[in-house]
Amino acid sequence: MGATTGKLTGGQPTIARLFHWVNIISLFGTIASGLQIYNANPVFGGREGIHIPWLITLGGWLAGGRNWHFALMWVYGLNLLGYGIYVFWTKRWRDRFVSDKDIKALQASSNPKRRQYAWHRIVYTSIIPILILAIATGLSMYQPVQFYWLASLFGDWQSLRTIHFMTVPLVLLYTLIHSTLALGIGDGKIATAFLKLKSSDL
Amino acid sequence: MSDKEILADSSRISRRQLFQWAGAGLLVNVAGTLLYDPIGRISMPINEAFEALLLSSQPTPEFPITAIEPERLIVNSFRGIPSIDLANFQLTISGEVDRPLALKMADIQQLPFTSMVIRQVCVEGWAAIVQWGGIRLRDLLTLAQPRSGAKYVYFKSADGYYESWDLASVVHPQTLLAYQMNGKDLPAENGAPLRLAAPIKLGYKQSKWVTEVVVTSQLLPKRGYWEDLGYEWFGGL
Repeated sequence: MGATTGKLTGGQPTIARLFHWVNIISLFGTIASGLQIYNANPVFGGREGIHIPWLITLGGWLAGGRNWHFALMWVYGLNLLGYGIYVFWTKRWRDRFVSDKDIKALQASSNPKRRQYAWHRIVYTSIIPILILAIATGLSMYQPVQFYWLASLFGDWQSLRTIHFMTVPLVLLYTLIHSTLALGIGDGKIATAFLKLKSSDL
Repeated sequence: MSDKEILADSSRISRRQLFQWAGAGLLVNVAGTLLYDPIGRISMPINEAFEALLLSSQPTPEFPITAIEPERLIVNSFRGIPSIDLANFQLTISGEVDRPLALKMADIQQLPFTSMVIRQVCVEGWAAIVQWGGIRLRDLLTLAQPRSGAKYVYFKSADGYYESWDLASVVHPQTLLAYQMNGKDLPAENGAPLRLAAPIKLGYKQSKWVTEVVVTSQLLPKRGYWEDLGYEWFGGL
């Protein structure tokens, strides 16, 4: 196998797997600590509103949740930025995301594997705007005065909070569909390609 | 194995996996509570430096007066409303200043009046657009003349609440000691006779019932009621 190039047949470069893992861990950490912050004054219904069960929160109380949230935001944001630079630098953006070929495949191809692959490319491309939306709305709430121009894009405070919160169910729904599809394609080769930490495991 | 056995087998594995996941979740949850303080010790200085870097000395955009949201402003205090004898009320400015002051409300109302309509943002996640009217802290400090080493300002309140701010935020043109709210005299529950109001800081930085302003050259071990319990000190917006 072509281990010298850092790429394996059906595998992903180590750096892509690293971006993937750091994203998963920091994203779920920001979600859990975000739900802890949410509980201080629920987006829906205020103090009398529906609270999140403590088991899926992180930090123990508001200050703890904020410590985790505002620490992991750097890991999450810088990882995503690094990934963005990597995608452009290596020109991965040209053939790694959904393209008109996938749309054509869905319209014309009768090969079920090609069709499933096309669907999956649509699905995993959709996470990019969701991840960016989480940062844009988060930054708007963290520094609403210094980034007032950004915050004003999302309407009033309640809609800003709601949009920021909605990235959570979107990510969870995405994770469900993406992992199901990734495990289903080529007997799980896509999932293995991104999740295995060591090339030799493939 | 028959199909039935395979099914039974896979469901047993998934139940075991479920317990493993719940156990891992519980472990992460407990670790998250135990470790929030060391995590904050790493991240808070970074975030505070970031917020201080972003802070501009220019006024921030305001809202039209029609945008005020009195129904959204939640009253928070840590031990209720203190009783204040207005007839003998004095605001003192002391510490690293050349001219310590003691002002009565009548003196304060002689100083230039500033009104602003800004968003009050609470650490809990809610926010409300409020009109505040009062005097600028920078005008008060101009009178008191801080010494060259002055870097921080402490605010002490009638209820025992205490806060400390960086000097740059204190002299921001929209940092007020307010005695008016939403076009009326400041209500007691919102901090009458005098409270801090600024668009650039989270709500817990904006002390109510302020009686003492103390200019210092350094931060003391006690930095603020909530900060000493774990909140970030800078609290910039």
